[in-house]
Amino acid sequence: MPLSRRRFLRNMSMTGAAIRVGLPPLAAMFNANGTAYAATADAGADAAIQPRFVFWFNGNGIPERYWIPTETGTAYELTPCLAPLASVRDDVHVISGIDNPNARVTAPGNTHHKSMSALVSGTPYTGRGAGGASVDQVVAGAMRGESRFRSLQIGVCQESHGENIHRNLSWAGADRALPPEMIPHNLFDRLFGVRDQSWVSRKKSVLDAVREDLASLQPSLAQPDRHRLDEHLTSVRELERAIASLPSDYGKTLKEPEDVADLTDYPRIAKIQSDLVAHALASGQTRVASYMLTKCQSLVRLPWLGYTRLRHHDYTHTNAESPEGQRTMRDICRWHVEEFAYFVGRLKAIPEGDGTLLDNTCVVFAHEHAEANPHKDNGLALILAGHAGGMKTGMHSKMRNTVGDLYLTVAEEVFKLRLDKGFPTAEKKISGIV
Amino acid sequence: MAARIGTGCAGRTVCAVALIAIAAGLAATTTTRDVGAQQAVAGPISFSRTLYPIFEAAQCRGCHSDDGVASATRLHFPEPNATPDDIEAFGITLAVLVDRDDPSRSLLINKPTNRERHTGGVRIQPGSFEEQALTDWVRHLATLPAETIAAARDRLASASAPAARDQLLRRLTHSQYNNTVRDLLGDHSRPADRFPPEDFVNGFRNQLRTQGMPPLLAEAYGAAAERLALNAFRAGDVNGLVPCNPSGNRDVKCRDQFVKTFGRRAFRRPLDAEEVQRYTTLFTSQSAKTGRFLDGARVVVEAMLQSPKFLFHVERGDYEIASRLSYFLWDTMPDEALFEAAANGELRSGDGLERVARKMLGNPLARQAIDEFFAEWLRFDRALGSVKDRRRYPEFTPELAAMMVQETRLLLGHLVWDDGNFMEAFTADYSFLNADLASVYGLPAPSGEFERVRLPAGTHRAGLLGHASFLSSNAGPVETSPTARGIFVREQFLCQHVPSPPPGVNTEVPEPTIDRPLARRQRMQAHVANPTCASCHRLMDPIGFGLENYDAIGQWRDKEVIEFESARRNTPARTVELAIDGTGEIAGLAGGAFSDPKQIGRLLAESRACQECMVKQIFRYAFGRLETPADRETVKTAFTAFRESGFRFKELLVALVRSPQFLDGL
Repeated sequence: MPLSRRRFLRNMSMTGAAIRVGLPPLAAMFNANGTAYAATADAGADAAIQPRFVFWFNGNGIPERYWIPTETGTAYELTPCLAPLASVRDDVHVISGIDNPNARVTAPGNTHHKSMSALVSGTPYTGRGAGGASVDQVVAGAMRGESRFRSLQIGVCQESHGENIHRNLSWAGADRALPPEMIPHNLFDRLFGVRDQSWVSRKKSVLDAVREDLASLQPSLAQPDRHRLDEHLTSVRELERAIASLPSDYGKTLKEPEDVADLTDYPRIAKIQSDLVAHALASGQTRVASYMLTKCQSLVRLPWLGYTRLRHHDYTHTNAESPEGQRTMRDICRWHVEEFAYFVGRLKAIPEGDGTLLDNTCVVFAHEHAEANPHKDNGLALILAGHAGGMKTGMHSKMRNTVGDLYLTVAEEVFKLRLDKGFPTAEKKISGIV
Repeated sequence: MAARIGTGCAGRTVCAVALIAIAAGLAATTTTRDVGAQQAVAGPISFSRTLYPIFEAAQCRGCHSDDGVASATRLHFPEPNATPDDIEAFGITLAVLVDRDDPSRSLLINKPTNRERHTGGVRIQPGSFEEQALTDWVRHLATLPAETIAAARDRLASASAPAARDQLLRRLTHSQYNNTVRDLLGDHSRPADRFPPEDFVNGFRNQLRTQGMPPLLAEAYGAAAERLALNAFRAGDVNGLVPCNPSGNRDVKCRDQFVKTFGRRAFRRPLDAEEVQRYTTLFTSQSAKTGRFLDGARVVVEAMLQSPKFLFHVERGDYEIASRLSYFLWDTMPDEALFEAAANGELRSGDGLERVARKMLGNPLARQAIDEFFAEWLRFDRALGSVKDRRRYPEFTPELAAMMVQETRLLLGHLVWDDGNFMEAFTADYSFLNADLASVYGLPAPSGEFERVRLPAGTHRAGLLGHASFLSSNAGPVETSPTARGIFVREQFLCQHVPSPPPGVNTEVPEPTIDRPLARRQRMQAHVANPTCASCHRLMDPIGFGLENYDAIGQWRDKEVIEFESARRNTPARTVELAIDGTGEIAGLAGGAFSDPKQIGRLLAESRACQECMVKQIFRYAFGRLETPADRETVKTAFTAFRESGFRFKELLVALVRSPQFLDGL
């Protein structure tokens, strides 16, 4: 079904009027030739739709008793934390029992640091950052995509202890953090900002000069220093690509998000960021995104839930095993799932080909810990969402695999990619994902 | 070799053959024959293979390392990547913890089993296989001749010789970027405040291993450069960046002059011919297009501000030293005088460097640089970002938080720039207050803004530990956090890293209940009752207990007040007042017990660990990395200079400038 303008407008307004939509008609927004994303009679058209990957995270852990369903299989009951998934129940696969073995390797740093590094990259914490590339970057690298942005990093809640490993979900390699864009306006401008031709040509000549400066420096430097400049060069190339492939019409289609006066109005910011990511994926600007709802070991306060006495991480260790403490954790984690469900719902609301964007997307939702208070790093509960590559959904599965096994399965089975080096801690692929 | 083996192995300690050979640096691996000989006798065979794994499993390294909480003891484990030979040598140096007359009284056996009070608790179970292995090793060590032990010690020392240069280019920090564009372009807009924030690594934001160039940052540099260049010439050349009067957009001479003059300041060294060519071409490409000279200048500024030669420190030779001095002591680019000093070769000798450095310390720019160090070391970001419960602390606002930070800045600034004893930071019986802060402290309002005020006799408040900036940022929205305050003291003031709780441990602190209202300290008893928790929490909590008389925003309180919300609306909340026990100790510090917050500051100020930590912190900031064994000599030299000057901070800075690390840029 071709994308109807009215339907799109209706979808947009579901976001709470965060984004206003104007002309021209939306058929133009998806890509320049208008074929890739519109269904045609041609049976091969779907082949042009490329699957997308989103790595979704929020900090601290969960109250297992309110999160992990008792039953496995399709006839499971949504637990209190998972209740917001009701509208997308058939689109998600709830997974429990995943181990994160490299969180236990002796390393500097606290349990959050260690679990986070091992969760995102499968490798032990270096004392400065993640020990290797994060799963979203491994997937982006293997996709060798030619989209405008190789990947996007998005964030929402800011509060944390401020260390590198707390604040970043995506890592290009050991100690190489890829910071998330936290400000909706900046993200909008990056994705949909309109530039005129003289801007583009000036920008290009500026980057040419920068590139020449980089090249002239390289020979005189020692190896580690050259690595650093290589990284700069890579970023310059990505900038050039982003400029060269500026979408011609998309920027006129979406209006800028309204100013968010309260920069800690996170439920609102989360939804705007979700909308923007969904549109970035829909318009083919990127195929890979990471979304950090809260920081690792998050210190966010939650006034919209009525919890103001402490910060999220404090709650996970204060009276946490008592019924009252568990209920607090339940409410907090249910909010995380609400935001996740909103995002999945947005993907599902955007038509693509014969189905929706969600049909061509795989979202992996993880925390750094299972039960939060004891910093549990085995038996992690994750959620997969979407139908890319024929993912199995509508069920809860208990597994005895590592995070590496899961990522390897996602990369190779869902995205049909080949990871030459496998994935750290991966031993075998998991059956039952696709 | 045979002779040494002879002296090393007496009686049943044939086992030591390989070890001693290794310790003396004579053999890297055990020969087959030696292994056979060792296995023939019961007892320790190879330290690295038998004993070392026991120590590692007991997690001794967590505290007993150069930056661990037991850094003041005689037991320091080698680096995690130590070679087996170094580990064997380390095993022999443990003889210092052995009582040769009565091995059963050795600290090496009685501390980890907690037979003698061990701050880290029981690490090796009495009566276990591990203890037996350790006892055998202790007995063996008791028989070793002094020269064998000395040889092992030498080997270990030489093992920590300087490593090969494993450095990466340093990038301008956000603070340096802001200051540099201010001095280069006259732009005060602080564009880096809107860049992706710098994250903390090793306690600072400038650690070079993680100073990368991710696409988002490159994009932010691009956007900032565009805006800065536009603003620089929006109203003509108001900041005098063009050193000549162009006769028109085709004035090649003026164009070249501009590229060379501006380029020298942007790249912090003269441009080479190739660069001049590149940027004049760029200039012309734009000025020819629009017909305006300043559009050419603008595009050059925009490009240079994104060049690696501006963003990274790639200068070499004299200009490299000039930049390093400037960014360390001023946190900004060199000025004309410093460029000239570099051009004249004045920075090539240690004495020349020192002369220039002392002069630079007289410039107000030095304050901004050292301020930035303080802001990161003391985590002012946390204080400024603190959020408190509005009902409980209505007076706490972002403005008040900024005043708290200002007080701390002023005290430290006073100590540094008025040549005070820097350790007074922990003991000062005066402070710099305004009316709002005085009210938090329960003192009469001073007549002026932030003027120096003597704290009244009988007050418990003294130095940094009494500053609201420290007390409030290490507390929750309502409650204090003795653990957080204790960790802060350990990490920032003693340079000791506290090990993390093992996974799977219940780390909860019970909330008070109306039926059982307990003070925070009592509620945290679980940390001490459970041995797994106690071994680490004993290091942190008791420091924080000593500060329990300060509430979550740093006000003095005689009682801990707990408010219980009423279950029913419109019924008043019930409050309970509990007595506060403010005694505590800094475990591991000789005479570390205290009964008053003032005494904590005194203990710190007088302890070598804290004094040396001041040196380590500025070292980490100055060089953008943690100190390694290869830096011990420099840290020691700087510490000596610092102490002998009566802890004058400027002398510490000068000592670092004169270090080989500074000259070599390591």
